[in-house]
Amino acid sequence: MRRYGSAVLLLLVGGAVLRISLFSELYLRYVQAALRPYLVISGALLILLGVVAVVRGMWRTPDHEEHEEHDEEEDEEEEGHSHSHSHGPRIAWLLTLPALALLLFPPPALGSYSASREEAQRAAQGVGTFPALPAGKVLDISVAQYSSRAIYDTAHSLKGRTLRMTGFVTHGDNGTWYVTRLLVTCCAADATTSKVEIRGDEADGAPQTDTWVTVTGTWIPKGKLGTDGAWPPVLHAADVKQVKQPADPYEKR
Amino acid sequence: MQNERTVADGLRLAVRAMVYAVLGGAALIAIATVVSVLGPMLAIDLYTPPVAAWWTVFTAVAVQGVPFLLLGTVVSAAIGAFVPERVFTKLLPRNQALAVPIAGAAGVVLPGCECASVPVASSLMRRGVAPAAALAFLLSAPAINPVVLVATSIAFPGQPKMVLGRLIASLATAVVMGWLWARFGKEEWLRLPKRTRTTASSPAGMKAFVAGLQHDFLHAGGFLVLGAAAAATFNIAVPRSILDIFTGSSWLSLLLLALLAVVLCVCSEADAFVAASLSGFSPAAKLAFMVVGPMVDLKLIALQAGTFGRSFAFRFSSTTWLVAVTSSTLVGWWLL
Repeated sequence: MRRYGSAVLLLLVGGAVLRISLFSELYLRYVQAALRPYLVISGALLILLGVVAVVRGMWRTPDHEEHEEHDEEEDEEEEGHSHSHSHGPRIAWLLTLPALALLLFPPPALGSYSASREEAQRAAQGVGTFPALPAGKVLDISVAQYSSRAIYDTAHSLKGRTLRMTGFVTHGDNGTWYVTRLLVTCCAADATTSKVEIRGDEADGAPQTDTWVTVTGTWIPKGKLGTDGAWPPVLHAADVKQVKQPADPYEKR
Repeated sequence: MQNERTVADGLRLAVRAMVYAVLGGAALIAIATVVSVLGPMLAIDLYTPPVAAWWTVFTAVAVQGVPFLLLGTVVSAAIGAFVPERVFTKLLPRNQALAVPIAGAAGVVLPGCECASVPVASSLMRRGVAPAAALAFLLSAPAINPVVLVATSIAFPGQPKMVLGRLIASLATAVVMGWLWARFGKEEWLRLPKRTRTTASSPAGMKAFVAGLQHDFLHAGGFLVLGAAAAATFNIAVPRSILDIFTGSSWLSLLLLALLAVVLCVCSEADAFVAASLSGFSPAAKLAFMVVGPMVDLKLIALQAGTFGRSFAFRFSSTTWLVAVTSSTLVGWWLL
């Protein structure tokens, strides 16, 4: 194991990184989309390093006279390694935890549990005007974008528009329910929450928590702009449709 | 004769490779079968929402760290293998008091987050750079590089003073820490990984590069995983709603955000967005969050403990935390 240990680790980590970035879109559960090329490059580089380590391990054999001198040199180096940082190679075995998790049971995207643990963020920082929304009959909008405009936009750009947004379901008190979405900037550790309360006849049979839905509807103004009264924003739903979890479960900034 | 031997060797190698592939493959299949049978049974009992969220955050921090860690180890292995020592002795002034600010400002050139800077700083020290200067670089690189500054300006639109404040406070912290080390630091606190090959003053070439890369990545990677586990635990265990209790007092809130930066371990390229979303806190408190984050956090303490030794990591991190809080308080009071 000593000869092939680092090779195994490098191949495992490289394989896990490639599995989530190159062979699937699972990486979107953990990090933001722009990181993909770097993940693919890293995975390929790690596999390459692992292969080099395997080849080296195979050439380094005691019955190989031609390379004996070279072997001794290598072993000496190896000794030096284990002396100077005795727990260096051992701590590296921790890498098998995330690598095997990603290879065998990729952890799920964050959902209602994480969303319930913190107050949803009010994305914008103060009242003011926003850039104009694109024209069109039905406008796809992110939950975060809807929240900021509903609470902070003095120009009321949402007024009279038919809006469509996708998120997972969370429940509040007294039968209220929300379309919720997490927003990730770099990795899932920095996720923040935004949510929109859903009202209307269509909203009566509230779906189960963590179901993904696409809701189409119109804005209901509520409270004074920029105050707690305007929070959380409300959407009058004309249509609620269950959908599959999108490839990218988080919203981008 | 010679030819025969190489042919025989090649054959032996091929046979050996095949045996390994078959044995390894069989072992892998066996493990996969057992795990896939037992896994779901265990999963039903243990996979509660908090546990699932812990695994997600844990793998997310590790996955996010891998490219940056690899960048850091590639640079550090390249320095170790290809750059002769005299380059650094020429570039940096002999006088440590002067070398520290120059090394701190040089942090601008490494466009990565904090995972990348630890291995680079360690290889700089092995290459004969004064520890004080290398440490200033270690602290400033993840905080003041262009990627991070641009992210900060996007997170705080219309507030260029926030970017300037971050640059000044981070650089000041890094330089002060370098000077403090030059004045009070003790060699014996610092356990530098010595290598028989790469401590030689001449560059050791491609072979040392690959060996250094493999070793450094695995070594630092292990500590990254340790840090990711700590970060995920705090992320799940500490509800962010406790923040609301402290928004009233500006002093307490500054200290609280400085502590939060340590336990949350948000990557330095993303922390500006997290800081911006912490509504209800004073600008100085948000500045403290962004100055402390890239310099002191659990993941970084684990990485430093692995690279430079435990006694160093705790002394250095706690002092850095104090200096970073002081400098962001001063800069925040003066600028924001």
